[in-house]
Amino acid sequence: MQIDIAHIARLSRLAIEEDKLPKFQSQMESIITMVEQLPPMEDAGIGLDPEHPMQLRKDEVKPSMKRDEILKNAPQMQAGCVVVPKTVE
Amino acid sequence: MELYEKSAAELGRMLRAKEASAAEITESVLGRIAQVEPRVGAYLTLTEETARSQAARVDEKLAKGEALAPLAGIPLAVKDNISTKDVLTTCASKILYNYVPSFDAFAYARAMEQGMVLLGKVNMDEFAMGSSCENSAMKTTRNPHNPDYVPGGSSGGSAAAVAACEAVLALGSDTGGSIRQPAAYCGVVGLKPTYGSVSRYGLVAFASSLDQIGPVARTVEDAALLFEAIAGRDPMDATSIPHDYTGLAAGIHAPVQGMTIGLPKEYFGEGVEEETRAAVLAAADALKAQGVTVKEISLPSTPYGLAAYYIISSAEASSNLARFDGVKYGYRTPEYSSLTEMYEKTRSEGFGDEVKRRIMLGTFVLSSGYYDAYYKRAKLMQNRIAAEFAEAFAGCDAILAPTAPGTAFRLGENYDNPLKMYAADVCTVNINIAGLPAVSIPCGTGKNGLPIGMQLIGAKFEEAKILRLAAAYESLCGGFAPAAIVD
Repeated sequence: MQIDIAHIARLSRLAIEEDKLPKFQSQMESIITMVEQLPPMEDAGIGLDPEHPMQLRKDEVKPSMKRDEILKNAPQMQAGCVVVPKTVE
Repeated sequence: MELYEKSAAELGRMLRAKEASAAEITESVLGRIAQVEPRVGAYLTLTEETARSQAARVDEKLAKGEALAPLAGIPLAVKDNISTKDVLTTCASKILYNYVPSFDAFAYARAMEQGMVLLGKVNMDEFAMGSSCENSAMKTTRNPHNPDYVPGGSSGGSAAAVAACEAVLALGSDTGGSIRQPAAYCGVVGLKPTYGSVSRYGLVAFASSLDQIGPVARTVEDAALLFEAIAGRDPMDATSIPHDYTGLAAGIHAPVQGMTIGLPKEYFGEGVEEETRAAVLAAADALKAQGVTVKEISLPSTPYGLAAYYIISSAEASSNLARFDGVKYGYRTPEYSSLTEMYEKTRSEGFGDEVKRRIMLGTFVLSSGYYDAYYKRAKLMQNRIAAEFAEAFAGCDAILAPTAPGTAFRLGENYDNPLKMYAADVCTVNINIAGLPAVSIPCGTGKNGLPIGMQLIGAKFEEAKILRLAAAYESLCGGFAPAAIVD
């Protein structure tokens, strides 16, 4: 199957270098050929495990992590905020 | 026998009998690391000072006559995708090269509550995507049995550290075989628990519906002890399921007579090396001589597992890894002129090729027009595979199969061929797809001198049964020998 690797990369927010495109293209095509081996199946519905439905915790007000603790991993920070490029003109 | 070679159970006994202190045990393992680590390369971060102070605390408690938890004073290595407060957690990725969590993963916190001693963080394939540890952006880890071979992956550092006696126990994670396959390649014990039995809180997510944290050990009893310590319901993980495993480790030596094992014919066919097939069948015969009934079974959808696995896991990965964008943590590209460019350059420079392939595969199978043909079909196949396992367990207590089609491969052998690399997971992925527990144990040595592994697969929450059978086989073998590292 032919895939548009540049399009998929854009959707994935990845920039693939020109010289690497052909290699990614052929590797991705062989992977997709492999996953295409699934047979057609009757649609019996897909859902969560009925025996073990997820258990959400109660919505309670509790102390959370400290802002400074979390922000110490941010690449760029100013006045307790994460710095990003301008998004709105 | 040196302290670093001993099992956690034996070291625990020695601690209580005052035959060794926690400080002596820790120094012994740290000494071993200094001796063999240059040849193995299992660790990404060493935490010697933390280890020494944790060991000292255990010795203080012991001196005061306070009660100790079963794993107190036992040195532990932790895979680098399991969050450790104030200790680097890189997932072996450039994109998290400087990430220091502000919280502990549930499983790790449980281990620390026991009084275990953190030796450091161990290598893995980047974001747990791989079967050889070669996708680490940080370093090469070698198989302790032969440095020209891979340790397996993605928990290659965990398995290599334990096999080389650079840790008594390790935590790994298993999404499609990532605990069991390296355990098989390195000749140690690796348990992938039932999905939901160990909280994933603090495990950096790869494929959330398949990921599970579990133990790597040199004995079945040690694996059971660590599993019992980390299992339990956690409100921070909505998929964690309450189940009482109390007494699991204490019960693993119960007799296995009268139990039934199924041998699925699909796991012994084409693609599995003859020596692997023969070793697993010989192990089945050995258990038969102990009064275990062995019968052939069929799991007809087995050949479709790999396709379903790569679709589901990559779809989830493409979503989970969207959070790595250079904003909140980790690497950010130095030069950019817009937000989109910052995202794209950060991710392209920060992720390795295998991670990019998986993100793109996941994006593709979830993209408009392809969802039904790929993702939905894979989820339907998941239901079918789970139903076949459930049917099989109506007639047997456990299923026995090879852990991998063969022994470890050479470094570089499959590196540039993703499909060959993926084939190393063919025996393990279906167990994750069905959410089942499975334990890999050594069952012989290949012609190349490397260990062969087999896995005992159980029904959900039946860890006790598979560990009992594993312990029975271990006793027949007189125990599993650690890797003999030759100078």
